Formats: sequence, C-alpha cells, structure tokens
Amino acid sequence: MMRVASVGPPLLGGVLLLIGWGALAAVLRGGHLIAGPAEVAGWITANPGLLGRALGKTLTNATLGFLVGNLVAMALAGVAMIWPRLLNLISGLALVVFCLPLIATGPILRVLMGPGDGPQIVLAALAVYYTTLIPLLTGLRATPAVWLDLVHSYGRGRWSELIHVRARTALPYLFAGLQIAAPAAFLGAMVGEFTGAEQGMGVLTIRFMRALDVPALWAIAVAAAAVSMVVYGAIGAVARMVLHDRPPVILSPPRGKPASGLSRLSQPALLIAAVLVLWWAGMALPGMNPFFAKSPQDVLAALTTAPQAAATRDTLWTALTETAVFLLPGYVAGLMLGAGLAIALVLVPNLSTLVMPIAVALRSVPIVTTAPLIVLFLGRGALGTISLVAAMVFFPTLVACLHGMRQAPGQILDVFHIYAAGRLRQMVHIRVPAMLPAFFAAARMSVPAAILAVTVVEWLTTGRGLGSLMALSASVSDYNMLWAAVAVVTTISALCYAGVAVIERRILSVYAPEQVRP
Amino acid sequence: MAEIQGCARIECTGLGKSFPGGLRAVAPLDVTFQPGATTALVGPSGCGKSTLLRLIAGLEDPSEGKVLIDDLPPSRQTALGAISVAFQDPSLLPWLTVRANVALARKLARQSPDPTLVDELIGLVGLSGSEKTRPAALSGGMRQRAAIARALATQPRILLLDEPFGAVDELTRRQLARDLPPLWQSRGTTTLLVTHSIHEAVTLADSILVLSPRPARIVADIAVPLPHPRDAHGADFRALVTRTSKALAQGDADNAPMAAQ
Ligand SMILES: Nc1ncnc2c1ncn2[C@@H]1O[C@H](COP(=O)(O)OP(=O)(O)OP(=O)(O)O)[C@@H](O)[C@H]1O
Ligand SMILES: [Mg+2]
Repeated sequence: MMRVASVGPPLLGGVLLLIGWGALAAVLRGGHLIAGPAEVAGWITANPGLLGRALGKTLTNATLGFLVGNLVAMALAGVAMIWPRLLNLISGLALVVFCLPLIATGPILRVLMGPGDGPQIVLAALAVYYTTLIPLLTGLRATPAVWLDLVHSYGRGRWSELIHVRARTALPYLFAGLQIAAPAAFLGAMVGEFTGAEQGMGVLTIRFMRALDVPALWAIAVAAAAVSMVVYGAIGAVARMVLHDRPPVILSPPRGKPASGLSRLSQPALLIAAVLVLWWAGMALPGMNPFFAKSPQDVLAALTTAPQAAATRDTLWTALTETAVFLLPGYVAGLMLGAGLAIALVLVPNLSTLVMPIAVALRSVPIVTTAPLIVLFLGRGALGTISLVAAMVFFPTLVACLHGMRQAPGQILDVFHIYAAGRLRQMVHIRVPAMLPAFFAAARMSVPAAILAVTVVEWLTTGRGLGSLMALSASVSDYNMLWAAVAVVTTISALCYAGVAVIERRILSVYAPEQVRP
Repeated sequence: MAEIQGCARIECTGLGKSFPGGLRAVAPLDVTFQPGATTALVGPSGCGKSTLLRLIAGLEDPSEGKVLIDDLPPSRQTALGAISVAFQDPSLLPWLTVRANVALARKLARQSPDPTLVDELIGLVGLSGSEKTRPAALSGGMRQRAAIARALATQPRILLLDEPFGAVDELTRRQLARDLPPLWQSRGTTTLLVTHSIHEAVTLADSILVLSPRPARIVADIAVPLPHPRDAHGADFRALVTRTSKALAQGDADNAPMAAQ
C-alpha cells in the first residue's frame, strides 16, 4: 500500500540525511570512502558545466521515458477496461516485460537502435510502466457498482464507464504510481547510459568509477538523488492540488475473472504462448539481423542441441548460482528489515517522526545510482552486493508495511484498548495481520527490482554472476548467450514473482481472508 | 385513469431472478404496469423490489421470463435514454458538483445540455443555492434530493425510483409529494416507486402493488383513485392505508408456511 506522500516529510528527510551524511563524512575522513557535503559542493562548483550537461541529458531521456512508459501503462489499463477478457493477458505480458533484465535489454537495444538516446529512453520507459500499470488497474476497478449502474441505466457501455467514472476514481492511484515512477525513470535512463551512451550521468558514473574519483561519484549520486526527490515531491504537490481526497492505494494484484479448473492452467499457457509468439514475431521483422536477433528456437537450440550447449548451460548455471548467493540473502534481508523496522516504529511511535521522513526521502532515490558508493563503502565482496539488494527491497517494504499497519481497523483497536491489551498484543493480533497484504505486495514488486540491483552491481563492480555474464556476452557479441541469459533471468524473475504470489495467497487466506478476492 | 398516448408500457412475463448460489429473489411474475401512471411497490425488506427494478432497467438479466417495454427489451430502451433510475444507494459522483451531477444524466443519455432545466429541477427538489456544492458537503437527505433531480433531468419516459425519499425530511417530502405527481402526469411518465412507507405509496401512486417476502410475488394490486393533492386525513386515504397494510401482513402470513417447507 502506498499513498501520495506530502512534501513536508521528504523535505525534512532531506535535511536529516544531509546532517547524517555530514557527520558520517566527518568521522570517516581520510578513508577515501566518503565525500562530505563540503567536498561534494566543492566538486559541483568546480564542474558545473560537466554535471549540468550530463544531468540535462539524463533528465531529458528520463522525462521522455517517463512519458512514454506512463502513456503505455495508461493505454494498456484502458484497453483492459474496455476488453476485460484481456486483463489477465495484459497484466501477464506486462509482468514478463517488467522482468526483462535491463542490463541485457540495454545492449540489445543499443544494437537495435544504434548510438543516441533511444535505448536510454526505452529503458526509462521499461522501468516505470509496470509500477504505474498495477496501481492504475487497481484504481480503475475500485469503483462502487452503483456508479457503473448509473452509466448502464442510460444504455452506455464500458467506454463511458471509463471516461465518466473509472478514469476519475483511478486518479489518486495514478498519481501514486507516477510518484514512484519518477526515480525509476531516472534509474532506467542511467542504466541505459551504462550500456554505451556518449553523455549523461550514467556515463560519468562509469568514468569516475574507473578513476576512483570519490568526490565526483558522490556528487553524481547526490545530484541524481536530489533531482529525483524534487520530482517526487513535485508530483505529490500536484496530486494534492488536483485531488480533494487522498485515499490509500492498495497494491493488490488485479485479477480477472476467478480462475477455475481448466482456465487455471490455460491462463499461464496462454501467456507463455503469447510471449513466445511476440518474441518470435519481433525477431522475424524485416531488418532484423539473424546474427544478432535470436528467436526462441535459436535460444532453445543454443541450450540443447548446439555443439557447445553443455558449456553454455554450465556457464549460465555458474553465473546463476553466483548471483543467487547474493540475491536471496539481500532480498530476504531487505524484506525482514523493512517489516521489522515498520513494526519497531509502531511499537515506539516517537522513533517514526525521525525515521519516516528519511525513509520517504530515500525511497525517492534511484538506489542503483548509489551502487558505486555502496560498493566503495562495503567492498566488492558479498557484503556490498547484498547490502545494495537489501536497500533496493528495504525502502518500499518499510513504507508499504507502515501504511498497512495504519489500516488496522480502528474499531478492533478500540476493543483492545477496552481490555487494556498492550501494544505488543495489538501488534501480534491486529497490526501484523493488517500489514501482511502490503508486505506481500511489496515483496512481489521487489523481485524484479532486486534482480536489477544485483545484476547492476555484478556488472559495474564485482565482475561475477549473471549481470557480468550478460554485459560480457554483449561486449563480445555472443548473442546466443545474451539471449539465453535474458530468457533465463526473465523466466526466473517471473517464476519468483508468481511464487511469492502463491505464498501470499496461502498466508492471506489464513490471516487476512477478506483481502483474498475470489 | 385515462391512458396518455405514447406512454411507456412495461410488461413482465414469467419474470424471475435467481442469484448464483440458488437464492431466488423474484418469483416468476406476470405484471403489466399501467402506462403513464405511478405504481408503488411495497413489500418487506429483502423481498426483491430493487432486483425487480434492476431487471426492468436492464441492469440485471432475468433468469427466466422477460421484460418488454413498448415491445422492446430494456437494453434497447436504455440505449434510447428512455429510462432513469434513482438508486437506493447514494450514487452521486463525489468529484462533481450538484449541478454537474444532475447535468451528467443528460450527457450519459446523449441529450443536449439544458442548463435551465437542470437548475429548475435543482430548485424543484429544494436545492437552490447548493448547485456548486459537492456531495460530500451535503446531508443524506440533500443527496437523495439531488439524485431525484438527476433522475428527472433526462425527462425520461420511464422513471424507476428505489426508495428515493428514505432520508428526505418530512417537510421536503410533503412538498415533493405535492410537486412531483403533476409533473409526472403532465409528461405521461410511467413511474415505478419502491417504498417502505405505505403512507407515501398512497400519497403518490395511482396503484399499489403489494409484494410478498422473498421471492417476490404479487399479493395485492390496489388502485388509488384519489385526485392530487391528496388529503392524508380523508377517510378514503385512511381506508387505502389500512387495506395496503393488511395486504402486506397477509403476504407475510401466506409465506410463513412456504418458508417452513
Ligand atoms: N447481486 C446479488 N447477488 C446475490 N444476492 C442478491 C444480489 N442482489 C440482491 N440479492 C438478494 O436478493 C434478495 C432481494 O434483494 P433486493 O435488493 O431486491 O431486496 P429489496 O426488496 O430491494 O430490499 P430492501 O427493501 O431492503 O431494499 C435479497 O435477499 C438479497 O440478498
Ligand atoms: Mg432495495
């Protein structure tokens, strides 16, 4: 669950972060790990042109991607409303595309679109459309039946429903999605720049990482974070002007008609078929070079019948295990820390006035842009990578869980007050069950995010695992390996997402049955 | 009463509705509503009155039998903008002002905007001065009145009112009971009025259909041959109230052994 956040807390959070950062830098002076506010300010004033040009470039691409991605999300959501039968297929395809590893999509787009800004814009769009689509679909369906009856009673259909009723009820949900999309677009554009652009914040990041220029790296991360925070805050401000009410947004998965028997099996089968057909058709387009454009059969052959198939499988498997070793602990740690801190904050409410603003501010930071810093700080080993994955998962989980716990029904809490039950018992019996739906929504959405984080770190710094394998395959034009890696990562990512959804349904049907829609 | 030419004739033949799970809300009904007249539907809570109205409005498909309005299915009539429904639940769109809510009905029915009519109707239901207010800032009764104005805004041939006066205060209710029947009569609107108030039914309707507990069957069809405005203290009026009330009790008693089966 999430809500259009106000400007105040993020602003306060920014100030608190600044103070903490200054203090940390003072303590760790001379370690070449951290550049303090003064150093960063110094670097920025010394290189205003360089930073300004890069920021302008990345911001332009991020904005274009933001627009494209969100328009696509809105169009898809609209189509799903007009043709409800397509809902499952659309959300399924959208998930699969969201699970594509940006690290590999970047180089592929680079080959397809050549030099220029195309790949950055597409990656930014890919990074945002899903986090807009899901709340939007929820919002479009969060409509009292009687409003739709009104439309029907004048003989009008789904199109009028959409225009006169659904579009308006979805607006708060749309804004919540857009707010999260702002940092995500920046992140997507930067990842696009990592994969061979000429200009932009991503390009500078790579350059200064090679040079181990700590103040410059910090300046870039700070600038990226600041811009994201400002945009995040600005969207929140617009939302508050446009919306009279600020209902909470429930990130529950939009489900179509209840799946039963045959359709429970046919839905995923249909989805897989659609993915394969689209993939195959895309590769068969005129102008696709078969050396580069690998179709599903090619990938299957590379993994099974080709002479080096066994070697390919070995390489993939090794990379996969290397990645999993970092990914799983980081993912689980992020979830646990997020939920744990949320619980602690409710038990000790005073703490939350301090921590919440920081968390909201940090949530608007494109985490991946801080990868070089975290790795500088914690090393190229397991700790740095795991921490980054955990950070990627931590903030959305924390914010979602806190919102979830606030949803605990007041009347039930009143009953507990009457019986003088302590905070701890309230927590166990009411708040934690109320938190679970939000927790799982965050857990689901974090799967692709965690994979993005781990592959970026692997590629930028550690040189191991799937991220490194994909980047390496791209640079030596081993497109069989690259496509195979994309297929494997996407499949695993989508399976993990589905797996979390299954666990979610099991647990919610026990602890929060009203949340599981039939 | 005389049948006005061109008034809509609503005909239900063998009309029944069961909900998934086997719950039967409406027993097969055969009834023709008098064109151009106001028919009140009274019956115990949960007997299927709203469901019957929704079937007639084409919002629900019958499980058996059919509804014909001037020989066309309801969906064809709704597409012509011939039907207006005032829903039992408050159904104003919260982001629109009262005026915009009322005007929306005309837009949905593909009718030309008519600001004069809209403001007239808002005045008729006693909401002059609240045109620019949003529903959240209205009282429950005011919201219902706005919903009535919206239902009237398309000047429908068929008006379906589902307990439209439940939260309306007594004074406004009396005023509406004075103003609405002449309006309907002059336009020849075929009106169905679901109500829990026998008094209201006798005040407004030309005939009263008394329904049994679920599934709804017709227990009695009582004509109300009184001129408007009606005097609630007149002997005829009180006699009709008593008759309706007895029919209601009768329907309840009839159903008791059936429920036990
Ligand atoms: N969509 C539905 N699904 C299942 N059952 C329904 C549905 N709508 C109504 N019912 C059931 O059908 C029966 C009749 O409902 P209906 O709303 O028509 O009653 P009513 O006469 O209008 O009651 P009231 O006077 O309380 O408004 C009720 O038992 C109700 O629970
Ligand atoms: Mg009803």
